[in-house]
Amino acid sequence: MRELLVSLLRSEPAQGQRTKGTSVFWILSGTASGLLLMGWLLPWFVNAYSAGVGYSAQDVTVSPPTGVGTVLIYILAVTMVVLVVSPLAEVLVPRLRGRRFGRTADRIRLIAALAGLALTAVIWLLVSVIQEEPLFGSMGPGTFTDSAVWLTMYGYALAALVYGARPWVVGRQTLAFGVAVLPFGLFLPLMFHQAPDFLLWAAGSLAIYMLLALGLNVVVGFAGLLDLGYAAFFAIGAYACASFASPIHSIHLPLWVLIFVGAAIASTFGAILGAPTLRLRGDYLAIVTLGFGEIIPDLATNNVFNLTGGPNGISGIDQPKWGFLDFGASPRWYYWSLLLVSIAVVVLFRNIERSRVGRAWVALREDEVAAASTGINTTTTKLLAFAIGASVSGLAGAFYGSLVSIVSPDDFSFSVSIAVLSIIVLGGIGNIVGVILGSFILTFVIFWVLPNMNQWSTTLSQTVHVPALANIDFTSYTYIIYGIALILMMLLRPGGLLPSRARRIELESTVEGESLAAVQGVA
Amino acid sequence: MSTNGLSANGEQLSASAPGADAGKVIELREIDVFYGRVNALSKVSLEVRQGEIVALIGSNGAGKTTTLRTISGLISPRSGEVRLFGNSVRGLGAEHIARLGVGHAPEGRRLFSRMTVRENLDMGAYSRNDRTGIRTDLERVFTLFPRLRERASQLAGSLSGGEQQMVAIGRALMSAPKVLLLDEPSLGLAPILVDAIFEVIREINSKGTTILLIEQNALLALKTASRGYVLETGSVALSGPSAELIASPDIQRAYLGM
Ligand SMILES: Nc1ncnc2c1ncn2[C@@H]1O[C@H](COP(=O)(O)OP(=O)(O)OP(=O)(O)O)[C@@H](O)[C@H]1O
Ligand SMILES: [Mg+2]
Repeated sequence: MRELLVSLLRSEPAQGQRTKGTSVFWILSGTASGLLLMGWLLPWFVNAYSAGVGYSAQDVTVSPPTGVGTVLIYILAVTMVVLVVSPLAEVLVPRLRGRRFGRTADRIRLIAALAGLALTAVIWLLVSVIQEEPLFGSMGPGTFTDSAVWLTMYGYALAALVYGARPWVVGRQTLAFGVAVLPFGLFLPLMFHQAPDFLLWAAGSLAIYMLLALGLNVVVGFAGLLDLGYAAFFAIGAYACASFASPIHSIHLPLWVLIFVGAAIASTFGAILGAPTLRLRGDYLAIVTLGFGEIIPDLATNNVFNLTGGPNGISGIDQPKWGFLDFGASPRWYYWSLLLVSIAVVVLFRNIERSRVGRAWVALREDEVAAASTGINTTTTKLLAFAIGASVSGLAGAFYGSLVSIVSPDDFSFSVSIAVLSIIVLGGIGNIVGVILGSFILTFVIFWVLPNMNQWSTTLSQTVHVPALANIDFTSYTYIIYGIALILMMLLRPGGLLPSRARRIELESTVEGESLAAVQGVA
Repeated sequence: MSTNGLSANGEQLSASAPGADAGKVIELREIDVFYGRVNALSKVSLEVRQGEIVALIGSNGAGKTTTLRTISGLISPRSGEVRLFGNSVRGLGAEHIARLGVGHAPEGRRLFSRMTVRENLDMGAYSRNDRTGIRTDLERVFTLFPRLRERASQLAGSLSGGEQQMVAIGRALMSAPKVLLLDEPSLGLAPILVDAIFEVIREINSKGTTILLIEQNALLALKTASRGYVLETGSVALSGPSAELIASPDIQRAYLGM
């Protein structure tokens, strides 16, 4: 704990810990390895599951198995093995950990990464620019597409960064994480330019869930108020945006106006719905918010004030456009605007977390009475958490509406609240980086693993000759799988994948704050 | 010597304490406080003047903590009036009262246990904006409690009881209070630390901070304070200058164990 704090505060880690890894370091080197593997396996993968990620089999080029260039490929393979296997060895074999091997190993890895990067570039130039395909011959499923090249090169660049600048990465974790991840985010549309559906689908669902999770994290993680009805705010945000960018009221605002309007409306409702819960804590609060989560979609179903279009919802929502710029069919721009908004939200929330308000939330979570007597206004501080948390659902709502072009009450059921809550529990309540990681994982599971489970089990049943497997409909087990995952998570890593500092301490102690209401004898 | 110079049943018979005409920092006028249906204080009147140390003693459950909570706005009286620095504070929440210059080191310390010592002290200065003033006060707290400087980056929850008490007082001081409310600062401390804490309390007071003090050790409290109030089941039973309270046979029997 103290070590981590010290390493966060210093640019150079303390002597003797120079090469010691930290979670961010291992995440980044793991990601680099993952990208390298993906880069190589992608074409094979595309072959096998051409429908899966929006690729078609034609994207894979195949040519005869001759050519000197194959040597380059072999060198590349060795480079990859060095980079993918060696960090694993360092994690698994304790003797390899630490400074004895670390620095030399890192230099070798750096050189390997740079060599890999250069070779990939050479091969790519030879193949696609100089059109020297015969030079390499057929690599069968190993032949790569442009996306594969991008992934591989990015993997090498990331590996070069984490191994070449290890002390820096360890010393400035957040910055290092940003430096490593941001280019990937920016280049993604270029990497996957052959798969626009994938881009739209992945970016849309991921970023929307991520925004929601970041918003809920303010309420649950920062302010410590358990909210089981967060989907209510998402519904309000989405309906607000849908109303202002669809034929229903004949209003058509551009996206950038919409996100502000959406955020304003959603945060107002956040404060309004937050107000009655101010005196409540823990389980009571959870139950009241649960109620909100049920009431809001119900109101929408009943078409209150003729605003919501009843059970059918609001349809014909405008395609995203930034006033003058109409994205129309360009998912790339939709993606980039989502990325921009998400980054803005992350940066903003990080600053809020470290601001006076952020400190007040921590104090409130710790001891409401002490917080009040140090001059913190408990009422406004809590309301602010609800309002800020809800405001993001306005942004998410705007993007959601333009992605699906129809919002209806069913989209905001209890399961959405639970999904968003699961993201932050999984990633690490109160830790922004953890929440982002959680949204990556959960979106991946919800939108890719679960829908594909049936197909996989069918394949598996044929392979292992167990016909019963083919008959299981995994889509109906979604929540069971969910539940099991959450239970496992709580048992194995109760603070989430990347626990926040407060959580880590909490898990080590059993100190409990007392509520102001209890001191006043009201609750 | 019976009740000469002392007041009984809340009736002030003598106003001979030094500085009687100095400004009233705290004044409670016949307050009634309830926790739900439990009547914790009835018709309590009390005043603390500028620069004084006033002790509040009484047996367990007498309502001492409740009195401090009422002053710092954590609870509102059902009837009666709380006046701070000459003005009524009716309807003001705890955060406003803290900003008026009332520092409260509450019963049971109530530290932010998952924050470090330094962060706890910083939280004490939450409603201040003068950076230089905050730095001076932090330095002052570290001078008063050198132990805290060593432990600045330790989690408050993992400190010993005595160290926690230092943080609680230090945190209250960080708000640069004009008046400091201390609820049993010696609770659970070794005798030598109790003396040290009281030494610090006197020192804080000598720099001009008014202090209202709750203390189980009535003798120590009265020796430190210039005046005292004795609470019994929610009302003021006796009050007056410390020396006279110490000399009172009732007090000696009930609180001083003589
Ligand atoms: N939060 C509460 N809810 C209900 N009753 C309370 C609450 N806090 C205190 N009381 C009651 O109010 C009365 C006065 O309590 P208070 O804490 O003020 O006593 P005290 O003089 O500080 O005692 P001690 O010396 O034990 O700390 C007691 O009878 C107590 O049971
Ligand atoms: Mg008490």
